[in-house]
Amino acid sequence: MTRSNYNILSARFGRPDGHLLSVYEAEGGYKALRMALTMQPAEIRDVVKEAGLRGRGGAGFPTGVKWGFVPEGSEEVYFFVNADESEPGTFKDRFCLDYDPHQTLEGTIISCFAVQAKLAFIYIRGEFGWLVDRCQAAVDEAYAAGYLGKNILGSGFDLDVIVHKGAGAYICGEETGLINSVEGLKGQPKIKPPFPAVSGFLDKPTIVNNVESVASIPWIINNGSEAYKKFGTEKSCGTKLWSVSGPVKKPGVYEVPLGMPFKEFFHDYLEGMVEGEELKAVIVGGSSVPVLPADEIMSCNLDYESLMNAGTMLGSGGMIVIPESSDMVELIQVLMHFYFDESCGQCTPCREGTGWLHKIVKKLRRGEGTAADIDLLGHVCDGMAGLTICPLSDAAVMPMRSFIDKFRPEFEALIQETAPAEPVSRWPRGEQE
Amino acid sequence: MSKPVDEQTGFALSPAGAARVEDLIARYPTKASTLMPCIWVIMDEMGYVSEAGVDFLTEKLDLTRARVHEVLSFYTMFRTEPQAEYVLQVCHNISCHIMGARPIIAHLEKRLGIRLGQTTPDGKFALEGVECLGACGLGPCLQLGKHLYEHLTPEKTDDLLDSLRKGVVPRADTDRELQVGGETS
Amino acid sequence: MAKLTIDGKEIEVPDGTSLFDACGKARGEALPHFCYHPDLSIAGVCRLCQVEVEGMPKLTIACNTTVRDGMVVHTRNERVTKASTQILEMHLINHPVDCPICDQAGECGLQNQYMSHGLYESKVEMEAKVNKGKAEVIGPYVILDQERCVLCSRCVRFCLEVTGTGEMGIFNRGDRAEIGTAPGVELDNNYSMNTVDICPVGALTSRDFRFQKRVWMLKAASSVCPGCATGCNVRIDHAAGRVYRLKPRYNPEVNGRWMCDMGRMTYKAVLEENRLGDPVSAGQTGNWAGVSGAVADLGTKDGFGLIIGSPHQSLEEMQLLKLLAGDSPVHGGLAGADRSEKDALLLDADRTPNRKGLTLMGIDQGDGAALAATIKGVSGPVLIHGGDPAADLAVAESLGAKSVVYLGTHNNATAALAAVVLPGAMWAEKAGIFINRDGRLQEFKQSVARHGNAREDWRILAELMKVTGKESAPGSLKAVRTELNAVIGGDADLNKLPERGFVPGGEVR
Repeated sequence: MTRSNYNILSARFGRPDGHLLSVYEAEGGYKALRMALTMQPAEIRDVVKEAGLRGRGGAGFPTGVKWGFVPEGSEEVYFFVNADESEPGTFKDRFCLDYDPHQTLEGTIISCFAVQAKLAFIYIRGEFGWLVDRCQAAVDEAYAAGYLGKNILGSGFDLDVIVHKGAGAYICGEETGLINSVEGLKGQPKIKPPFPAVSGFLDKPTIVNNVESVASIPWIINNGSEAYKKFGTEKSCGTKLWSVSGPVKKPGVYEVPLGMPFKEFFHDYLEGMVEGEELKAVIVGGSSVPVLPADEIMSCNLDYESLMNAGTMLGSGGMIVIPESSDMVELIQVLMHFYFDESCGQCTPCREGTGWLHKIVKKLRRGEGTAADIDLLGHVCDGMAGLTICPLSDAAVMPMRSFIDKFRPEFEALIQETAPAEPVSRWPRGEQE
Repeated sequence: MSKPVDEQTGFALSPAGAARVEDLIARYPTKASTLMPCIWVIMDEMGYVSEAGVDFLTEKLDLTRARVHEVLSFYTMFRTEPQAEYVLQVCHNISCHIMGARPIIAHLEKRLGIRLGQTTPDGKFALEGVECLGACGLGPCLQLGKHLYEHLTPEKTDDLLDSLRKGVVPRADTDRELQVGGETS
Repeated sequence: MAKLTIDGKEIEVPDGTSLFDACGKARGEALPHFCYHPDLSIAGVCRLCQVEVEGMPKLTIACNTTVRDGMVVHTRNERVTKASTQILEMHLINHPVDCPICDQAGECGLQNQYMSHGLYESKVEMEAKVNKGKAEVIGPYVILDQERCVLCSRCVRFCLEVTGTGEMGIFNRGDRAEIGTAPGVELDNNYSMNTVDICPVGALTSRDFRFQKRVWMLKAASSVCPGCATGCNVRIDHAAGRVYRLKPRYNPEVNGRWMCDMGRMTYKAVLEENRLGDPVSAGQTGNWAGVSGAVADLGTKDGFGLIIGSPHQSLEEMQLLKLLAGDSPVHGGLAGADRSEKDALLLDADRTPNRKGLTLMGIDQGDGAALAATIKGVSGPVLIHGGDPAADLAVAESLGAKSVVYLGTHNNATAALAAVVLPGAMWAEKAGIFINRDGRLQEFKQSVARHGNAREDWRILAELMKVTGKESAPGSLKAVRTELNAVIGGDADLNKLPERGFVPGGEVR
């Protein structure tokens, strides 16, 4: 199901025993932790900054820089590993925790040491209930081996890890939504400022990192920032786990260096489309980014900058391959239902807008839409983008706008031919009784 | 704060469940932060959180009823009513949709004689459409509690239903032995 | 201090000022908003107060931004106006078109904002709107229309942060989110009606006021709640001679922006069935023309033997009681009456508005036995002004042997045993001054006409002064107040009391 030519992250993917501490240690596990504990926290932060590791959850913010926002000398710092993976098309964090939980755990311990956190939560989405037990087992092994708890490996550093199970809410993947969720509130994002690194969980400095980001840490410590930068491009360093779905011959999770041309990835790793299907479009970063038609994605490289220049985003690297046989309006209805379902409901533009977008698309697909309804979709998007507490609103807008932008004829094919171009107004302004 | 109108019915967790709650309160930094895992203790034992369960949580964790109900109503996995014996959750998000989730759903609807969102009259099967389950390249997929079935075909779903009708939860793609500590799935 | 430019206008505000307040100051009116409230934490959910701060790529909500020296802010440019119009539209798309039947009409945040920067046509079909619960009673005084709610969360924050009772929550997510109380929980704390005040739309409305009056028909009078010694400042909303509701009036020194539900309901006493409307003499209803004779017949040519006042009456009336008494004693009524529990917020244990007034005027109260003894010990008629001392059995017994004139508002135990009953005015029907528990003099103004043929108490007392042979009686309330200035001291001018009250010589606790 996956092939790893590169093994910073995926060394033990697909193996039946890679999750065991004994196997991990035999293959060099927890060496990085031993080394890290002899370094200064500031040194570790510098190494990670130098290595150019960017947040792998979707935002792409430089990890070492984020760590640096924690005020110096903070007494109580919290660390969260974001395993809430719910972005449609994304299933790579699951692989990390399933096949190699100790790598993520080791990365967590090193990261906590780097920011001097004494308590870390691994927040696993509730639907991964089958994974929570496995993660807890790895944590138990680590405690037994002295990698967690008091005075880790005699370093004087204490750390506890709690595996926290989510309960079905995509918005808990937003870092402040995740923090609120663990505080025992609804998982609604917090308004910023203050930012979590300064005031987050229980109003204390808090760092939230994605599983893949954290899992990259041990290799970086073991091999150094220069070795990491040999992979990838100048601004997109290292390797990335791509989650590939859709009718390609070889869907699955792939680790490749950032910057690989999509064309190469598509032909050499995914082996192209299955028999009878043609490539129509790709949503490259999980569903919350603009879609690119086949010809456009073919000329992209798989790194942050190239994809941004092409008008989309790398996001979570959840690559959804769309065949010619797919109806784009049907697909956008599926996506709009998702955002309508998952909007936390806190702020008005997103709460009302996600529901409205879904309704309009459904109306179009029922054959009851007009040309004005297509424009209305754009109008609703305008009232949502950039105006909310968190980017879920934008996450709905980006696919919506891009689907119309790139595949407008499919929307227009659905409108009633005899319907008026303007929506009928029941109370026309200016008319007297 | 006003008293609830409903009377408290007897509510008792198993000794293991009660012990787990105490352990959570000891390990988490605040009582309020144990709300989600405590709800999971109740969910795992009883399948849903009743008003008596809400009473328990409000008293044990010093929380208002409003707060507990907010959390219960916010997360899709928390349920406040008794559930069917087997809740079959099929992903209908974009990747699974492209790979054929809708025909699978239609097939299940036919086999069970219910529509998506309904429960069979004998209370045995419920069919739900859910959002992305994190098996996008392995779809279409179906979740039953802690078991995730991938690469679904109509035949596989038939096998699944046959097994469940006999009261046996078949081995899922995600079920692998832990070998060390924890549970064997 | 921070100097910043808002809409081209330079203003200076203290460091740490919220940009929301700074913009309000510069513009002369607040930014559009729902969720912001000066007494509650910042929610930042309505997104209406977004402004453009030069140098920041996205619009920012002013309520969660602190001013910085040199900030350049735009609140009315095209970008901001477009955004707030669009966001307002989002608030309206699922809002039911309830205006014709909604009590909030005329004082509704949605209506106001729509008129000021909306005025577009709806792009949502009626059938497509999300439906939620309607007209659900959630407490003794509050009724909820979930559909109308804009989810600003003010009520939730109020119940968490002000009353600490936490009855309200927002359940579900997305556009299925709805405000409410948890199952089995009522919104029944003593401040529940403040949620009606702060709800910017007609989601939370008063059961008492429901469908009673359109708000644009109401007139307002400044007053003080007579329910307890806190003296919350209120606004009496009235129309066509009837009081319809009380609303808190902002006074940072007394009650802030809140008042309790008990206080809000004190206006009901004005409308009660057992109000006294006409003078009664020896059980016969009469008219004012016959009053002087009836009182004189009781033997008052040398005045009253004893006057019993009450802490429910105004300062001016207490002054007149003293003038009327002359050398005779003036008693303050039952010391133990009208006392109960105080609460953690505003409600005082003393359920009278002017006990401090009695103290200032040197009028002592006592218990029932002592008052009964006093009554037995005097000769001549007894004048009782306000209260209901005959509710105490010992007092009633002692009064049974006397000639009693009762000047009051309700047909109570004291009125029942009085030889002459004179109908006076309730607080909403007259002007006066109360002194609250902190020594603050606060003025209440007349809102509605008096019930039946009742008259202002000061006028009745002045008339009684004439009947009992006093040389002169004050000809106006103004004159009484002028006399009182000397009694109060501390350069008080009771004819020119500030809107927020007056404490002689500064803060008295």
